Amino acid sequence: MKKSWFFSLLCLVCSGLCGQNSVDSENEVQDKPNSFMDKTEFRAGYYGNFYWNPGLTFGAEYLWKERVRTKEKKKRTKIITKQWLLNGTIGLSWDPRTELGVFTNYGILWRRTNTKGKQINIQFNPLGYYRSFLPETYEVSGDRVDKVFLPGRNYFAPSISFGLGKLRKGKKLTGRYLNATYMLRTPYNASFLPSIALEYGYRFNIKKKRKHAKDNQ
Amino acid sequence: MRRIINSGFVISLFLLSFLFILSCSQEEIGDLKDTLYVRHEGADMPAHIYGNATEKVFLVILHGGPGGDGLTYRAGTIKSKIEKECAVVYFDQRGSGMSQGRYSEDGISVDIMAEDVLALAKVIRHKYGDDSQIFLMGHSWGGTLGTAVMLKDQNAFSGWIEVDGAHDPKGIYFEYPNNFKRVADQQIEANRSISYWEEVKNNISKLDTTTYTDDDFYEMNREAYKAEEQLADDKVVFKVGNGIQSELLVTFFFKNNPLTVGWNGSDTQVILVRDQDIFEKLSYTDRLNEITIPSLILWGKYDMVVPPKFAQDAFDNIGSSSKELVIFENSGHSPMFLEPDLFAQVVIDFINENK
Repeated sequence: MKKSWFFSLLCLVCSGLCGQNSVDSENEVQDKPNSFMDKTEFRAGYYGNFYWNPGLTFGAEYLWKERVRTKEKKKRTKIITKQWLLNGTIGLSWDPRTELGVFTNYGILWRRTNTKGKQINIQFNPLGYYRSFLPETYEVSGDRVDKVFLPGRNYFAPSISFGLGKLRKGKKLTGRYLNATYMLRTPYNASFLPSIALEYGYRFNIKKKRKHAKDNQ
Repeated sequence: MRRIINSGFVISLFLLSFLFILSCSQEEIGDLKDTLYVRHEGADMPAHIYGNATEKVFLVILHGGPGGDGLTYRAGTIKSKIEKECAVVYFDQRGSGMSQGRYSEDGISVDIMAEDVLALAKVIRHKYGDDSQIFLMGHSWGGTLGTAVMLKDQNAFSGWIEVDGAHDPKGIYFEYPNNFKRVADQQIEANRSISYWEEVKNNISKLDTTTYTDDDFYEMNREAYKAEEQLADDKVVFKVGNGIQSELLVTFFFKNNPLTVGWNGSDTQVILVRDQDIFEKLSYTDRLNEITIPSLILWGKYDMVVPPKFAQDAFDNIGSSSKELVIFENSGHSPMFLEPDLFAQVVIDFINENK
């Protein structure tokens, strides 16, 4: 099917990036955050197809692996950070006339941050669930008509995201991001439904916030 | 203290006025503004209902396509005039518009879609009362579906309105060349866009129009829309007015999710046209005599998409003793947007005569 090649390609990209990381051990500096909260960032943002399908997402990212490469240049030191994070998201989107959708997805996120703090994010969420909530619905079976309680549909909803971001050093909001997300809902009608959404939001780390507050004193 | 009381008074007055205006406007409209879903055979299909339901008269519109969407028709005089006379039901068919559900490809067929429309009629009567009177209107592909509904159970409806409808999908392919040639000859004789019409004749003559193929069908279908644009440029048919164009744009971008509508529509069209060969095999012409409820046939004289030959076919073959054919002299495939005032008038008259 159409979707399978897309995810195969993504897996290939991810595995390639993984392999690249394991090779790049030269000049490696390991940053070792201590606690679970040190390694976890939260994020919140807008999610939707512009105006007709607005929504919100909330998520958490747990730092699984990190490699920092430093290269001494003539004028400055170049620092490239590559991270693998475990990612979980919950969100909702709203089609004003027809449905409210609540979704959650889980997967892995790869992030590259350069010296200036500019970031590239690639997210792959193979585990996803979408629940649509419909307005007043009547089920017809033969001559019988019944009102449906909590009408809507359940969908398996994997997704992938590509995006850019910016690390905000020393700020309460530790980064911002702009992602394009491609989500499939399946089974949907006779096949599946692809959707494309934009995500814009900020990341924050509860523990870093306290630490920075102390640093600023 | 006095200032606080005064400002509190002003705010209260403002809020009360606002609520009063709101309540007045709701009473003044006195109309339905409902969206409800019909769940039937694995599909959840939205029906947007707008308009005056005081007499419990409903006009269900079956959209074109296959794979269009109901709200596309909520513009022009359908919204401004017909909705004042009765409640208009803009229904998204299975696999179209914002419909959702779960079924196999076999779960989409003209037969099941016709049953969906009958299910919608049952829901309307369940919600608004058994004494509701329902008229059915089908445009283009909606004419195919509407005819199928009529042949399944016409007693659920007070009247049938076919607007440039494809009750004979199989016949369209073979009529296209005749219609192109007829209109091209007329236009060349009238000295209008001669090079364009010569080219159309030339292009059509290159196609093998004796044996049906999907590719040639779509080629002629695309050419039909282009030809209507040419006719509009030459002022043979009217153009869609700016007001209606704006309404259509607003509907497309703001009232539905265009990505979902587009995807659903193309998916459904592929199943019905490519897999189930509706334009190769399906025809209801021989069964039109079974339709005996009051019927109104509306057609654009210059309809290049579903040629006007089928208007006469419908009028001649429908078995009803109460039937009328209205040809819109300055319209192509969509008279509801090209001659909206006349369109509303004949529809309202038909409903009033038969409710």
